[in-house]
Amino acid sequence: MHWSASGMLRPSTVGEAVEMLSAARAAGLEAALLGGGTDLVPALRAGQRQVQTIIGLRRVLELRVRGAGADRLTIGAGVTYTDLVGWSLSPGLARAARVVGSAQIRNTGTVGGALGSARPASDLLTFLTAADAEVLTVSPRGPRRQPLARFLAARPEPDALVTAVRLARPGGPATYLKIGGRQAAYPAEVSCAVVVDRVRHTLACAVGGIGRQPVRMVEAEAYAQAAVDWATGTVSSAAAARFADLVTEATQALTPTLPVGPHGSARYRIHAAGVLAGRAFARCLNPAIARPALAATLLPAAPHSDFLRPDTFGPDTPHADPATPHVDGTGPQGAR
Amino acid sequence: MSGSEAGSNAGPEPPRPLGAEAEAEAEAAAEAGGLALYRLNVDGFLRTVSGAWLGDSLLTVLRDRLGVTAVKDACEQGRCGACSVLIDGRLAASCTVLAADADGTRVVTVAGLGASGLARAIQARFLSEGAVQCGFCTPGFVVAVTELLTRRPDADDQEIREALAGNLCRCTGYGRIVAAIRAVQQERGILPIGGEDDVEWHP
Ligand SMILES: Cc1cc2nc3c(=O)[nH]c(=O)nc-3n(C[C@H](O)[C@H](O)[C@H](O)COP(=O)(O)OP(=O)(O)OC[C@H]3O[C@@H](n4cnc5c(N)ncnc54)[C@H](O)[C@@H]3O)c2cc1C
Ligand code: FES
Ligand code: FES
Repeated sequence: MHWSASGMLRPSTVGEAVEMLSAARAAGLEAALLGGGTDLVPALRAGQRQVQTIIGLRRVLELRVRGAGADRLTIGAGVTYTDLVGWSLSPGLARAARVVGSAQIRNTGTVGGALGSARPASDLLTFLTAADAEVLTVSPRGPRRQPLARFLAARPEPDALVTAVRLARPGGPATYLKIGGRQAAYPAEVSCAVVVDRVRHTLACAVGGIGRQPVRMVEAEAYAQAAVDWATGTVSSAAAARFADLVTEATQALTPTLPVGPHGSARYRIHAAGVLAGRAFARCLNPAIARPALAATLLPAAPHSDFLRPDTFGPDTPHADPATPHVDGTGPQGAR
Repeated sequence: MSGSEAGSNAGPEPPRPLGAEAEAEAEAAAEAGGLALYRLNVDGFLRTVSGAWLGDSLLTVLRDRLGVTAVKDACEQGRCGACSVLIDGRLAASCTVLAADADGTRVVTVAGLGASGLARAIQARFLSEGAVQCGFCTPGFVVAVTELLTRRPDADDQEIREALAGNLCRCTGYGRIVAAIRAVQQERGILPIGGEDDVEWHP
């Protein structure tokens, strides 16, 4: 183990990292784990966080592993968004990773950092919430595995290190959509993931940015389960509109807990949640739904209709083509 | 800095000779003061950093401690790309990287790209195509474009936009920057004949 009075510690194993973390805490020092630093470094600079010890995880190679078992995928805490972008084993996750920040942020930001920061509309966490992921941690009390939702709801354990997340291998189509300010510079205001399992006949939908953590849309999921023709994995176009309405209603019921951002009033978030969910649902199950019809169903005199106009954020723009990244209509020139 | 300086005379200062003795002394002093001491490989030179604050970003250390002004400092929040560097070959915003954590990596700024013909060609085209106005964003763009064209020499318009989304330019409106990249591709025989229509960027 390499000790240094400078406050920077660089363990090479998970065991060492956990030991350093508890030793620092026992000595009464404020300690922070460091993944890529995209959240921590600007926060230190701005004085939002004060720490005396930093435990850099860059050299812990066992955290950088991305693995696949017979029916599960395991992603180490040190894996970056860029590592996930090209991952063919989980196209849904790859898609969520691809719309995080900029190339600079995707090359640097890690899975462990996303769990440590636990942003309400984190792209990764919204997707993983829909995918029923589990979080693996190690603390002086030993290793622990818990559902992501429980991990996020609990108070963070200050002496625990996230080592990996684990999710089922995909059993059907999945998609991820987000909306907010300029993607390269700001995390999403509202995000939505839909994960379809054609083997188990289930559909999961999570919406981020409408609570302290991404929320599962339980009523809409139950409706979908009944509405989908599982033999073909498709739905009618009316089902997408109904699905969107159910998500809007569920989000409305959460109004008191909605986070308030500079751009996102509660009303805006509720509306955006329904629109994103309807689109994500249709993309997974009915790509043939006529675009103008969908736009007409989903965009009646919207309060922020300019934000949600099909030409800035719709299936018929090059930006929203599934093969391209800027689903919220931002490019280098910024949509707004 | 203008594009033309970047390759030639903006190189790093020669590494200061630091004997084992002096180094041990510096280390002891730094440890005593609780200040960081580490080494950074910047543009191929090993530089010793002492007396830096634990929380200093790579950007701060490069500019304020090592005098490497080839990286520009603007937002310090990871949002503008002015401070872009390569870390072990990957594009990163140096203001979001902890300097002490970059010990053991290879950091390359625009000044360290100079030897590669590609970086020179990019800088030349930035100038000839009018992609440099105030020039503040240029070092970051040149690093990002060099990384992109090394990885994807035939990047199309969408890929270029995606790869450069993290670099802001307040002057050019980006059209000239994309034109410069297209010109580099053309010059290298990568852009297909008839691809000239793509050179003008209509957002
Ligand atoms: C300009 C910019 C744009 C961004 N855009 C997006 C976006 O579009 N979508 C999005 O979701 N996020 C975005 N982010 C947020 C950020 O990039 C992500 O949250 C990222 O995943 C953080 O990872 P990191 O490795 O950089 O974390 P760090 O900054 O290293 O750490 C973040 C927190 O997690 C803790 N931590 C780190 N590793 C572990 C671990 N293994 N176990 C426990 N705790 C740990 C740290 O102590 C710290 O509190 C953006 C950030 C910036 C600066
Ligand atoms: S100064 Fe680093 S991204 Fe703006
Ligand atoms: S040339 Fe002035 S910011 Fe780009």
